[in-house]
Amino acid sequence: MKHIHLLLLLAVASPLLALWPQDPDPWVKEVDRACTSSRYGLRLAASRKVAQAGGAAVPALRQWEKKHGRAAIPAILAESIADASTTDDPVVELLIEWTTDRDFFWRGQSMRGLANRAADLPKHRPALESLFRDYVDDAAWLTRTHARFGLVMLGNEEALQLPESDPRARPRLTALLLAKGHPAPLQPLLDALGDERTFLGDPWGKRLGQDANRALRTWLGDDYPGGGEAFDDKGEALTKLTAAARKKSGQDLHEPTIQADPDVTFAGGFEVLSCKCGDQFVRWTAHGKIYVGLDSAVEVSLPAATWERLDKSRSALQLDENLGVVICDSMRIQWQEPATHSKIAPGALPTAARDWLKQLADAIDESGAAALAEAVRSGLEQFSPR
Amino acid sequence: MSALRTYMALAVLTLMGQEPTKTSFSVLASFDYTEGMTLPKEVTDLDEVTVTISGFMRREVPGGSPVHEFMLVNDSCGCTGTPKLNEIVFCTLPDGVTMDVKIGIVTVTGKLYVGEEKEDGVVVMIYEMDADTVK
Repeated sequence: MKHIHLLLLLAVASPLLALWPQDPDPWVKEVDRACTSSRYGLRLAASRKVAQAGGAAVPALRQWEKKHGRAAIPAILAESIADASTTDDPVVELLIEWTTDRDFFWRGQSMRGLANRAADLPKHRPALESLFRDYVDDAAWLTRTHARFGLVMLGNEEALQLPESDPRARPRLTALLLAKGHPAPLQPLLDALGDERTFLGDPWGKRLGQDANRALRTWLGDDYPGGGEAFDDKGEALTKLTAAARKKSGQDLHEPTIQADPDVTFAGGFEVLSCKCGDQFVRWTAHGKIYVGLDSAVEVSLPAATWERLDKSRSALQLDENLGVVICDSMRIQWQEPATHSKIAPGALPTAARDWLKQLADAIDESGAAALAEAVRSGLEQFSPR
Repeated sequence: MSALRTYMALAVLTLMGQEPTKTSFSVLASFDYTEGMTLPKEVTDLDEVTVTISGFMRREVPGGSPVHEFMLVNDSCGCTGTPKLNEIVFCTLPDGVTMDVKIGIVTVTGKLYVGEEKEDGVVVMIYEMDADTVK
């Protein structure tokens, strides 16, 4: 081929090259992998890659979200983005959008992502501080804890003193602050070490203790007593951990006591776990005494005749073990007579059970606990049959 | 069939005079896991040991049908954080056995394998179990 022909070919082909399909966004595949891979480990690895890419991966993420809906974004991806330290504007904007979307399951995780980065985002500081203040009393304990975490990271130490009714909140806030190297009062973490409370068979107190132990272990490093080996005796562990925490922090800390379940025999109860609307925990005795809260902090006694009627209609209810497909928010109902244990997804609560729970709320209302009754009713809302 | 397999597994354990070693997530998840790290001795000591451990059954992918494989995790909700790899035991039931995902705490007995397992170049699990029984 003569040179002149080659030059002619190049001259004609150059404008056409612009029309040649561009390399697709490399993050499209990775986002899809993070959201849809059948192996948990692969989803986790892809989620971390996407998170570490920062702003570069956000267009692909938004594209995936547009195609499949925000509700299809998995927790693992929101969690990985929250954990990462990238401060690109597109990431911050995405996290703000997710956090302020009341219908997004993972708004608590998104809030943590903002709180984690807050100190490194001077440009966004006023907006973030205002956002954190808007959510410090959110019904969902994770969202409000992470909002408080954000406020403390921006120097608002008073957020540590805000009233808190959920026993899981303070240890979590302390652990988050400790992980960021922020000096925080350590007593909530120590107290969690001695927590052995349960709810309908779920050892949540023990889990709280395990999380607290891990946070202390990381923070104490080589000062962790026993060289990292497990303790045979819990009392010895509490004594030594308290001493080590006292020495390193210089705080006036007292050794925690074991917190056990109340001396009550529960006949049944239910829990609503909702990242959107907040959790609810209700248990009752065979005699119609209602205990509300993970720690049974609130008690309501129903009149004997009311409870007798309610108990009779309850015992006629039939619930399958699994109702609907749970993604995040779920409800669990358990009672002994007849033996029933059921996990329910939003929209899948059978009508008869929904009606019974509403009657229970009405009875609580008539007993003078109107606010509590209203909370129960609103908690049931998203589980009602559609 | 499932009951027979369970019986056989327990019978083998009994004949060998071995009680399963009781372990928990407070041991398996007591450290911050990072890829490639040397796992703590208290964890590697459990490699290829028949253990019994309690936790919550969770599907690897959402669905409603019975499972042959499942994840055993420490938290029923997962809302406080998706489990890290050292907070999951990937359980496989005996060949041909499937079961519904139970709600509430279950106790699983079987041989535990400890170590990084890679797929497509990434670590996909560090605890794997051939689960003989789920109660």
